[in-house]
Amino acid sequence: MSSFTDKIDEWMKEAEERPESALTIVRLIARRLRELSERDEELLAENIALQNGTRVEEYQKRITHLEYQLDLIKRRFGVDEGTLVELPTQPVESSTVNLLVYNAQGRIFRLELNQEVKVLGRITGDMITDHEPPRILTLPSNEEVLLLYTSGRVSTYKVNDIPLIELGGAWEWSQAALPDEPRAGELLACIAPFSHLPLSDFFLQISRRGCVKKTMTSMAQSILGNHYIGKGALQKSDQPFDLMLSHKKDRSTFVTYEGKVIAFDVDDLSYATEERIRLTATDYVIASFTTRADESLLFVTQTGKVIHRESKSIELSKSSTAKGQALIPPSRLEQGVRFMGAASVKDSDSVVVLDATGRLKLYEAGSMTGAGSIEADGLILSIGIIPADSAKRGAS
Amino acid sequence: MSLKVGIDFGTSNSGVAVYDGQRVQLLPVDPKNVLPEVIKTVLYITKDYRTYLGQEAVETYYRDNVNRQRRYVKQWAGEIDVYGADMHYVRDIFVYVDELKPGRLLQYLKTALRKDNYQGTQIFERYFTVGDLAQTYLSLLKKRAEDVLGETIDAVTLGRPVKFSEHPEQDHKAQETLRQAAHEAGFKEVDFELEPIAAALDYEQSMTKPQNVVIFDFGGGTLDIAVMRLGDSKNRKVYASGGVDIAGSDFDRTIIEKRMLSHFGYGKVKHHPEIMDMIHAIPDWMALPEMGTPINRNILEKAIQAKVVPVRLKALEGLIYNDLAFTFYNRVEAGKIALSSDGATIISLEDKDISLWELYTRAQFESDIQHYLVDVEKVLLDTIAKSGLDVEEIDAVVKTGGSSNIPLFTGMLAKIFGAEKVKESNAFSSVVAGLAIKARM
Repeated sequence: MSSFTDKIDEWMKEAEERPESALTIVRLIARRLRELSERDEELLAENIALQNGTRVEEYQKRITHLEYQLDLIKRRFGVDEGTLVELPTQPVESSTVNLLVYNAQGRIFRLELNQEVKVLGRITGDMITDHEPPRILTLPSNEEVLLLYTSGRVSTYKVNDIPLIELGGAWEWSQAALPDEPRAGELLACIAPFSHLPLSDFFLQISRRGCVKKTMTSMAQSILGNHYIGKGALQKSDQPFDLMLSHKKDRSTFVTYEGKVIAFDVDDLSYATEERIRLTATDYVIASFTTRADESLLFVTQTGKVIHRESKSIELSKSSTAKGQALIPPSRLEQGVRFMGAASVKDSDSVVVLDATGRLKLYEAGSMTGAGSIEADGLILSIGIIPADSAKRGAS
Repeated sequence: MSLKVGIDFGTSNSGVAVYDGQRVQLLPVDPKNVLPEVIKTVLYITKDYRTYLGQEAVETYYRDNVNRQRRYVKQWAGEIDVYGADMHYVRDIFVYVDELKPGRLLQYLKTALRKDNYQGTQIFERYFTVGDLAQTYLSLLKKRAEDVLGETIDAVTLGRPVKFSEHPEQDHKAQETLRQAAHEAGFKEVDFELEPIAAALDYEQSMTKPQNVVIFDFGGGTLDIAVMRLGDSKNRKVYASGGVDIAGSDFDRTIIEKRMLSHFGYGKVKHHPEIMDMIHAIPDWMALPEMGTPINRNILEKAIQAKVVPVRLKALEGLIYNDLAFTFYNRVEAGKIALSSDGATIISLEDKDISLWELYTRAQFESDIQHYLVDVEKVLLDTIAKSGLDVEEIDAVVKTGGSSNIPLFTGMLAKIFGAEKVKESNAFSSVVAGLAIKARM
């Protein structure tokens, strides 16, 4: 086995025997030197990071983050230290499907769904508070939620900690839970399911005026520690609308009041807040969700008209100046047709619809798209989706 | 009328051709290859026994294997009887099997035919004999050729080296195994032609007058030589033929042994016999995959923790456990091929744990394979002597096969016969073209 000096002698021999090889050898060595010098610089930078403790800090942060994620997973699956020896494959704590109906003032109704009831109940009193209709969210009872306020503040709660309200009754907002009352000048922007954090790559914030902000979930510890994620909006008059957890390969879609829809790959988004759709002065985002190839998109107008589209029919936008695809024709817009809700659904999913009379009704997504409209007692205010494959509904 | 083709079942590359009496048509049986008429003699068999060949096999292998996850499970392999002076007991034997392994890549199928100590291999639940492997490859190749031609192929002329083996029994066995494999692949009629003679038939197409010709067929697995009278189809004569088990794969192995092993700890690792075994297995394409056991990984990890040449042992671990062996052999082969035209080249392998870089010159290569030159020259001169012709009576020397382009051997031929007599032919297609011509005779 030759030493490095022997190798150099052999290279020299080649150059002596065939002078034309000398140029090739010099070229190859020069290329290698360049590669090595780049690598050397990387190693020196790494060495500096090791010496000044930056790397140690980074790893400590990463460990803290992983510990936090582990803690969340343990809470989600109801595992304590004693039972951690073997993680159960099924959730230990049985969960039921819950429906949250909440308004901008931070009031939340929590309902436990069952298989048979079609009319869930009715909310009495003012339905629109601070110009915002109530929002609907379906999630398992063992879920943890993140409350995002218009100031950019966040807080977390266990769904189980929110008091249940009886199905089928008439409820006033004053009966609703108020886990964390909005502070002066702020409103509750949205509630987001949160326990998938360890399995997600990003927080995705969408503002009313179509701005998007992506934050790595590795920042979760700091966000939750400081109770602040930011508004995710560029204009002062703009405010947060939604927050969701997403993966790198997800495709996110949002829909506006005046019928525009736009889709984009989460991985393509920058980490800075940026405007992803150019909206007219009167338009704003009314729904945002992640779309899957096997699902279709459902849009509901304020009068109960249902529009159905294949998710692949929505063009993917790469540009930040896109105006989106228009789903409401101009003539209908002039007549005052507007979207009040939209979602990504499978035919077997159920849709919860809240109308202006405060009534909450359940519909099958397949029958909604088939009929092309739904009957409601008043104008539609909001919709929510109950996925068919969600955890079992409570016993009837 | 039944269709008969010529198939060159080569050690590194294969090909299929058909001759219509006027023109040889090389069939593009591997559209994914740079040269579609040349197909790598590589077979990939997946866990559910789907089979791929040529470039598709290589791509599927890369896609499914490189840097994949592994999960070893203990499987019962059998039992052994242990006898002592006054006792006898039976003991179960278990092996660790990587249950996530998606498939096996097999190459040098032709070399396996002539190895008397290689009967076959276990591929997941099924044992494949050497004949089964050859049959699988040939039936896929036949199907590809039929798809190109749009008709059924019934008969084939297969090429074979002058000597599969030095031992006549083994030589006969190898040919009969190949014949049986071809029959099982669906060829009703199978005959053979020596590869150098096939190359001669192809060369004859370009001749204008009868000549004494030496065919120097130097491929991936063997060197085959034929001394012939060509140019008059009615008076064609084979004066002598000869061969030796020296070829491209031996040069690759030599390069690895002399230049690459130090990158994996050779010369630095001492007192670790298990690690030395792993290092010594690197040049052996059959032995290296067998090294990938959990026990060996543990040994390597412990040595790395103990700072025994950690960078080199990490590279060894990467080579074995990240399924990089095939890439590594390809890089070595590519370096060798580059030295046929350049004075120096780089053999490199960059991956997660490997950063291998070796500047390799033609002078180094020639020095490394010098001992083969002596053997090759001897076989060549012996074959000429056997033909009864003098060197001066040879009119042309026709080179074919990838290794015939190595300047050291071209120089040897020029020195013996004179540079003007050394003729180039298509290194990868002259044998298959000649086999197609033979198939038509």
